[in-house]
Amino acid sequence: MLIFAVLALLVFSLALDLGGTVARTATPGVLWTTVAFSGTLGLSRSLAREQRNGCIDGLLLAPVDRSAIFFGKAIGNVLFMGVVEIVLLPLASALFNVSLLQGGVLVVLALGTLGYAAVGTLLAAMAVNTRAQEVMLPILLLPLAIPALIAAVQATGALLEGGTLAQVGGWVRLLVVYDLLIVAVAMLTFGYVVEE
Amino acid sequence: MGKVGGGVMRKAGRDVWGLALVGLSGVAVFTALGMVFLYAPREATMGDVQRIFYFHVASAWVGFFAFCVTFVASVAYLARGARRWDMLALSSVEIGLAFIAMAVISGSLWARPVWGTYWTWEPRLTISAVQLLIYAAYGMLRASVESAEQKARFAAVYGIVAFVTVPLSWFAIRWWRTIHPDVLTGGPGMAITPPMVHTLLAALAAFTLLYATLLRQRVRLERAADTLARLRLQVASEE
Amino acid sequence: MSAYLVAAYAVFWALTFVLVFSIWNRQRRLERDMAALQARLDGKQDDTGHS
Repeated sequence: MLIFAVLALLVFSLALDLGGTVARTATPGVLWTTVAFSGTLGLSRSLAREQRNGCIDGLLLAPVDRSAIFFGKAIGNVLFMGVVEIVLLPLASALFNVSLLQGGVLVVLALGTLGYAAVGTLLAAMAVNTRAQEVMLPILLLPLAIPALIAAVQATGALLEGGTLAQVGGWVRLLVVYDLLIVAVAMLTFGYVVEE
Repeated sequence: MGKVGGGVMRKAGRDVWGLALVGLSGVAVFTALGMVFLYAPREATMGDVQRIFYFHVASAWVGFFAFCVTFVASVAYLARGARRWDMLALSSVEIGLAFIAMAVISGSLWARPVWGTYWTWEPRLTISAVQLLIYAAYGMLRASVESAEQKARFAAVYGIVAFVTVPLSWFAIRWWRTIHPDVLTGGPGMAITPPMVHTLLAALAAFTLLYATLLRQRVRLERAADTLARLRLQVASEE
Repeated sequence: MSAYLVAAYAVFWALTFVLVFSIWNRQRRLERDMAALQARLDGKQDDTGHS
């Protein structure tokens, strides 16, 4: 997933011929697209591994609430994506000559990743049980991730232009609402996805 | 509607409500059509092309309404486990898909002469496109799962999560468009007059009735399919 | 009358027609299968003397 993310970033910059001022406006989009697509890879694999080894049955036998299993998987996926992002940020900053390592951007990154990983975990748990498997996840996930993607890209863009976190407060609030709603729904419905 | 409705009516012959709905829809649709072309005024800036607006907006709203129905049915299915809720959910998605497709295509055809492009990130059009993708994904999910029980369960969960994101998408898109107005959509606005409002409401009523009619037929079809499957099992077990 | 206007309304009709036809077609096929199945059930009843 990490290699893929780096490759994706390079391919995007090459293909879009990013340099100078064009890079600045395109950077948020390129960054988030890369995160989104490499994220689907990581999410698929994370849940496929469980299914293959029968781990999920073991987890289901344990006397824990289904939502706890969801939290475990989701947090794992967030951390996984976080690791990739830690590598991507400096790389993108260097490639596009922007400073991505500022507080505001990191906050937006964290919020966006959280929501994306949460909904992604829920959907991946379903996707691995389908005939199409890995292919199914992006189809299910991307339309649902649109609010988060728009908010994250717009907020990141505004921050890179020299804005403050307060100025993008609206987008941040949208991300927070998205995260809360998604996590709530996922907690309530994850049990129905993994039940036998 | 009458000629094709004849085939559907053959089965609906014993179904009074179905028949009534077909009749009502037919009347409503033709009334709305009449209003669109004869009653509504010719719009000042856009001319006759603006008449697409009425059915375009009506289909977008009904498309979203179908999604609401799917959402409620999905919740009910997970809560109760009764197959009829699943039937309602999937039927509403199928019918809703047609309406949303109408909304997207008509929106595109309206955009071309007015704004010079086949696509514009206008909020209603964009959110309809998003819903179209979600409906398609829902269908693909169902088609991709073997077990009937799992199929229904997964679809219900997806229906719920997906629906929750739609209002959020709407706000995000609206906001995005406010901050970065499309140079192309910033074009001519519409002068709305009362007759136009009446026509829009008529179109909305017509499409809602049409949706109800089609939904009913689709649900009955699904029920019949279930009966057939059960019969098949019965025959197989006796052989 | 704008060509786009005509096209848009043509699309409304076409999509409605496609949907109605699709449902009607599936209904017909279902009825046919149902009739065939019923015939087999009746046939078996005749053969075996019990249902």
